Amino acid sequence: MKRRDFFKKAAVVAGAVAMGTTTAEANAGTHQPIDNRKVSDVAFPEKRPLIMYSDRPPLLETPRDVFTSALTPNDQFFVRWHMPDIPTFIDPDTFTISVNGLVERELKISLNDLKTKFEQVEVTAVLQCGGNSRSAYAPIPGGIQWGSGAMGCATWKGVRLSDILDHAGLKKDAEWIGFNGSEKAAYYETPNFVRELHLDELDDHVILAYQMNGEDLPYLNGYPLRLVLPGYYSDSWVKMLSNITVTNEYKHLFFMDVAYRVPDNKCECETPEKRAPKTKPITKMNVKSVIGYPTNGAKVNNKSAVVVRGVAFDDGHGVRDVLVSLDNGKTWDKALLDDGKQGRYAYRTFRYTFKPKKFGKMTIMTKAINKIGEEQPFAKDIPWNHGGYKYNGIDEVTVEVV
Amino acid sequence: MKKLILIAALLASPLFAQVKEKIEVPYVAFPIKMGKGFDALQANCLMCHSFGYMINQGRQPRKFWRGKVDKMIKEFKAPIGEEAAKAVTDYLYKYYGNQKLK
Repeated sequence: MKRRDFFKKAAVVAGAVAMGTTTAEANAGTHQPIDNRKVSDVAFPEKRPLIMYSDRPPLLETPRDVFTSALTPNDQFFVRWHMPDIPTFIDPDTFTISVNGLVERELKISLNDLKTKFEQVEVTAVLQCGGNSRSAYAPIPGGIQWGSGAMGCATWKGVRLSDILDHAGLKKDAEWIGFNGSEKAAYYETPNFVRELHLDELDDHVILAYQMNGEDLPYLNGYPLRLVLPGYYSDSWVKMLSNITVTNEYKHLFFMDVAYRVPDNKCECETPEKRAPKTKPITKMNVKSVIGYPTNGAKVNNKSAVVVRGVAFDDGHGVRDVLVSLDNGKTWDKALLDDGKQGRYAYRTFRYTFKPKKFGKMTIMTKAINKIGEEQPFAKDIPWNHGGYKYNGIDEVTVEVV
Repeated sequence: MKKLILIAALLASPLFAQVKEKIEVPYVAFPIKMGKGFDALQANCLMCHSFGYMINQGRQPRKFWRGKVDKMIKEFKAPIGEEAAKAVTDYLYKYYGNQKLK
């Protein structure tokens, strides 16, 4: 369909529109991410209706109430693409992934070969957009004003990248691995979505996954094959992976050198007036928790047990504790964590039971602490960065006790 | 016999996608404010991304919108002339801008 059909097709509904932020908010510093967006009326292919920001490229956010479960269902998993033209059909019988560059032998591997000729492995890992919760920052940084649902956790099945590279045989001077997805821009001159990772960053947990939670990857999550890089933000998890190129030299690429970067200083912070002179890629995730239940505005009954549920994660050190506060952060109490058997890259689900004792509004806060003692700061204490990346403030929901 | 043929067919084609046909990404109509400069936006922006992609960036100052247009030209190689770039910036600032920030 041509772009000009856009208005004729004017079928359905408005997307989530994050307008109306007041100036007071805009100058007040970091706050809780926006959390009042409605789920769209439109269901995208293989998806339930989600919070929708854009159709070209598709940008879909998972609603908060999904974050009570350890695995995010495929049809509720968030979607983020960069280019307007994504393949809408890929034949699994003819699809191949190419491996080339500084290798002993160039490979073209079919899906069937991937599934039968290499060791099959699984990893459960959190996939989170670096700009998740961006709407918490003020002044508003550029980029989609995500709430806290640009994340999910799935069990990914596929083959180890290292097995593929071993099979191809790396030449001595191999240093960088470039990953190319199949999404295309409208102009030939537009840079492709290519990521480059240094060999040192790649370990045995990095896999090429064809399956997600026991099913084929949904198209919008990168069918038929995507890179899975546990612990890293999702900009490195290239979707619809088509090509792996080994080089000895870092190529300068827009999506590496300009986008997805934070200030290269200790606080990873700057001000709009005084931007940091040096930046670095966002790479690994910081510790974070998100409450799945109750949601903002929910009504709970006085003197009746409420079970707060949510998920917590970091970059693979593992979550040690999730603490809950019912008095605006004055005192904290430990929540119960699941057994952690999904592994250190997965969500830890938590639950915390309490009985409200007073009618009216009350705020529930959660704070995750990882095994090396890093913990979530209060939203107001998180300094600004121009891309609005890496927000990990103490989560809160306000409910009404009736 | 029938069973055998079926099994043979499955072996010959062990892979099948959950979705066997082309997927169709729905078109979504975003609420659009009509005004001066909208034509320039329609002609220069919408072939690469939706209106939603723009208006979900939040209310932004003029400098931000101009910066975005420049990024499209410089980084994404969009062939947008200066006149159109100015018209698009003016439109976004007027209708989706934050007039309280410079």
